[in-house]
Amino acid sequence: MTTDVASVGPAPRPVRRGLAHRLGPLPWVAPAALAILFVFAYSMFELARQSFQYEDAWVGFENFSLVLSDPLFRTAIWHNTLLLLAVPVLVLLALLVAVMLFETRRGIVAYRAILFLPYILPIPVIGVVFGQLLQLNGALNGTLDGLGLGSLTHDWLGNPQLALWTMGGVIVWKEVGFGIVLFLARMMSLPEDVYESAKLDGAGFFRMHWHVTIPQMRPLVIFYVISEAIVMVSWVFNYVFVMTNGQGGPGTSTVVTELYIYRTAFQDQAPELASAAAVLLFLSTLVLIVGFFRVQRADGGTFGD
Amino acid sequence: MNARRSVAAALSAAALLATAACGGGSSDEQRPANAASPQSFPTEDVTLTMWWWGEQEAPGAKQWLADTVKAYEAKHSNITIKTVLQTTDGLIPSFEAAAAAEQGPDIEYFWGGIYSQQPYWSDSIVPVSDYIPADELSHYTNAALEDTYDGRTLTAPWYVNPQFPVLARTDVLDEHGLQVPTTWDELLNVCDVLSAGGVTTLAGGVKDGWFGGWLYSMLGAQSVASKDDVTAAVRGDQSFADPNHAEWWTRLEETREHGCWNDDINSLELYQAQQRWVDGDAAMTITAGTDAPNFVEKVGADKVTVTTMPTWGDGAYAGKMGTTSQTVGITSWSKYPQVAADFIMFMHTPDRLQAWYDQTGSLPADDRFDMSKVDDPVKKQLFAYAADGAPYLENFIPSALDGKAVFAGVQLVLQGSKSGEEAAADMQAEAERLRRTDRSLVDNFEGWTD
Repeated sequence: MTTDVASVGPAPRPVRRGLAHRLGPLPWVAPAALAILFVFAYSMFELARQSFQYEDAWVGFENFSLVLSDPLFRTAIWHNTLLLLAVPVLVLLALLVAVMLFETRRGIVAYRAILFLPYILPIPVIGVVFGQLLQLNGALNGTLDGLGLGSLTHDWLGNPQLALWTMGGVIVWKEVGFGIVLFLARMMSLPEDVYESAKLDGAGFFRMHWHVTIPQMRPLVIFYVISEAIVMVSWVFNYVFVMTNGQGGPGTSTVVTELYIYRTAFQDQAPELASAAAVLLFLSTLVLIVGFFRVQRADGGTFGD
Repeated sequence: MNARRSVAAALSAAALLATAACGGGSSDEQRPANAASPQSFPTEDVTLTMWWWGEQEAPGAKQWLADTVKAYEAKHSNITIKTVLQTTDGLIPSFEAAAAAEQGPDIEYFWGGIYSQQPYWSDSIVPVSDYIPADELSHYTNAALEDTYDGRTLTAPWYVNPQFPVLARTDVLDEHGLQVPTTWDELLNVCDVLSAGGVTTLAGGVKDGWFGGWLYSMLGAQSVASKDDVTAAVRGDQSFADPNHAEWWTRLEETREHGCWNDDINSLELYQAQQRWVDGDAAMTITAGTDAPNFVEKVGADKVTVTTMPTWGDGAYAGKMGTTSQTVGITSWSKYPQVAADFIMFMHTPDRLQAWYDQTGSLPADDRFDMSKVDDPVKKQLFAYAADGAPYLENFIPSALDGKAVFAGVQLVLQGSKSGEEAAADMQAEAERLRRTDRSLVDNFEGWTD
């Protein structure tokens, strides 16, 4: 009996320890978790509820149908999609500059600070400054004229064919600093012996970084791609609002989904349509977030290692 | 417009009657017919918040408001009024956010017409006529034209804005042997001559959109018979693609074809562009009526002619300036609407009317203002235009239509990527879409027109 008890006795103990181990942190995270739940879950519930109502009456999917049939909403979605083209540009630029800094090392701290500066500047400041710089008779065109490059001058923000691309350029200018610092930090932490081995094997600059650096940074690159994609889909409102005085102009050339939601809710006074559009935007962002976690899981959850 | 409002109105009336029965006292002479009876004026400490706009177009308004609040608080020691100046782009969105939360200002600034109607339709304000007597309101300029719905006055006019004077620099025109244009052909001729000489005829900026609405009102009014034509097009009884509603787009296109505007009109805000005129780089510009005297003063009255948009149409309003009153309203969540109304009436006392004119140079929206005290010829002329003004069209279309069709369309027509005809078709399409998305729009506009 004693032997039997002894043989089975220890078995439940790990279970009790496991449960306690799992529940242990709960009291510590519960306040924050509740706050987050309240802030996000409640607002999401309210948003979803409002998107199915009109003047407090249930209207089913009517608001979604009206939003989806609005050419301006489709235009806004298309503009967000076009802005996604800035993501590969961002990744390439950030990788390129990070590798150059990594190789140079000299003055790396100063360069890193300078390149990171745009990222920490407030977007309204950037918007106002670029709004002035990019006027038809502004400093950029003035400089181009002065250099004899008058043929390159354009109405950067006043021409509907150019305005969105100009906006994309400004976003890249600001966001690339984040990528550079992120990638550089990772490169600095990579083991030196791997590079030394590669060099001994005769790897040149390109092959070494293509076959050694980038593969080791894959999770970080994926993180950057996903976070910048989320920026392009649902975080560009500030740029557009400040640089076009909240109009998304000229015409509708820079209207993005967030601006559409804002204007629908607060200028057109149609909160139910704005809610429906916001739900659609949330779902599209959710696709990106889920995509990120899937890639991360497939990668063995190595991000941050 | 809906059951919710009726219930709210009934509850408000009941609450006010109850409050009135409970007593209280006040020393004011002017008293509204119903709610703001002497008994209902609070004796406890009251703090009101007022969100306002107007310093941008009537410099001096800030000081006037501070003085007025101070004078009112001196008269009512238990009342404190806090004022918050809003930005142009933030005026409507801030209020919409406040309305959604049902907290924020007690007194809110509204432009006239649709801007005072929409908050009522969404239950965000209570009619001022519930608290201010009819004989008092009858003195408020443009209240009946723009701010009345179903017999109730929604917001109280504060000051009049002649919308919008064209300021012409005779010195610039003289240099090229030109006269101030009064007809459309004359204007296009001036544009041809000046653009050939590298001078801008009309300085404007549409980046911020607002100027598009001005142009619609100034050009579009020349071919409609009345504001009811416009509201009929909103309801779908007329079309914005009909010639009387669409022709102005073609005239706008002509101004681009004749090089009338500064080439960077799409990348400038209106206020930036107006400076070109002050600097002598443009022959003409368009300003807010309230601000026009300041612009004239900067250049010198002897060099400036204040006029209306050159005429192209033969409608009743061709050659006239639009008139509108900027207003203030009382929010539906204000705990002391009677105090808010009392303060609004205080803004219309003779001393305050005169002070408004003295401090801003613009016309208070009250026919009791003594016009004989206006001796400045520019102001006199502007006030005369406003007295015989045309309805300001932009105030009679939904703000969504204004923003999506007019602001955007003007930008594209002036940039050259859209024709006037296409812009008119877009405006009609947007109006049709709005009638589908805003399911109360037609009813609300019918109530407004009736």
